[in-house]
Amino acid sequence: MIPVSHFVILATVLFIIGVSGFLFRRNVIVVFMSVELMLNAVNILFIAFARMHENLVGEMAVFFVMAVAAAEAAVGLAIIIAFFRTRMSVDTDDAAAMHG
Amino acid sequence: MLISFYLIALVLVLSAFAVVLLPNAIHSALCLIVNLLGVAAMFALLEAHFLATMQVIVYAGAIMVLVVFVLMLLNMKREALGLRQYTLFAFSFLVGSLFLAFIAASSSIQWGDALQYAAGSVGTIERVGRMLFTRYVFAFEAASLLIMAAVVGAVMLSRTKKSQHLSGGAS
Repeated sequence: MIPVSHFVILATVLFIIGVSGFLFRRNVIVVFMSVELMLNAVNILFIAFARMHENLVGEMAVFFVMAVAAAEAAVGLAIIIAFFRTRMSVDTDDAAAMHG
Repeated sequence: MLISFYLIALVLVLSAFAVVLLPNAIHSALCLIVNLLGVAAMFALLEAHFLATMQVIVYAGAIMVLVVFVLMLLNMKREALGLRQYTLFAFSFLVGSLFLAFIAASSSIQWGDALQYAAGSVGTIERVGRMLFTRYVFAFEAASLLIMAAVVGAVMLSRTKKSQHLSGGAS
């Protein structure tokens, strides 16, 4: 029997790795993949608590997170391609047009 | 049970570190596939069979195919990761761990209790499908609408100037 706290700790560690990658990487696609890491960490937590409470609502939440993540991947990658076309780069430092 | 949890957790943490720390983006993508399959294994361990299947099909299948495809489309160079970047990573990881410690200290979770396993499995396809098409049917339809909008948006965003010109001339 696995204690729930193990899942909480694992999910938090994965989430922190995702946040750190989101903050320190410069490649837009790696930043995007860090977001996926964070989403998956939260999904593990949802399922663990759904299992603990014998309740399917958590699994429904994960299902809709997956649907939104699929939509986000399609739009995000299209934005990355459009960005690459205008700047010829995938570096987040080059997305500084709003700084003036 | 506990041993398989620790094995999967080890794979998950190592591959997550690899995603974030490897300088070549295609290596990160391959490690992310390992990570997503590990998450699917974790779902299976928690008896969410339907979501484990969806995780493999949607995440490790569809989304990662998209990501790898885009990576090959854009021919990018290795990211220069120096000591400064690694220091930044270590610092942000440390701050995050402090945040975790703060949550652990202030939460009301009983850290010792185990998952209680009932006789019937929770996340079977039958039960998930029944719930999805009764209580959550509007959310389900809204999700399909959202994905439709995302597909149209992705096509609009990735159109080239040439095809814009062509469609402008045709209308």
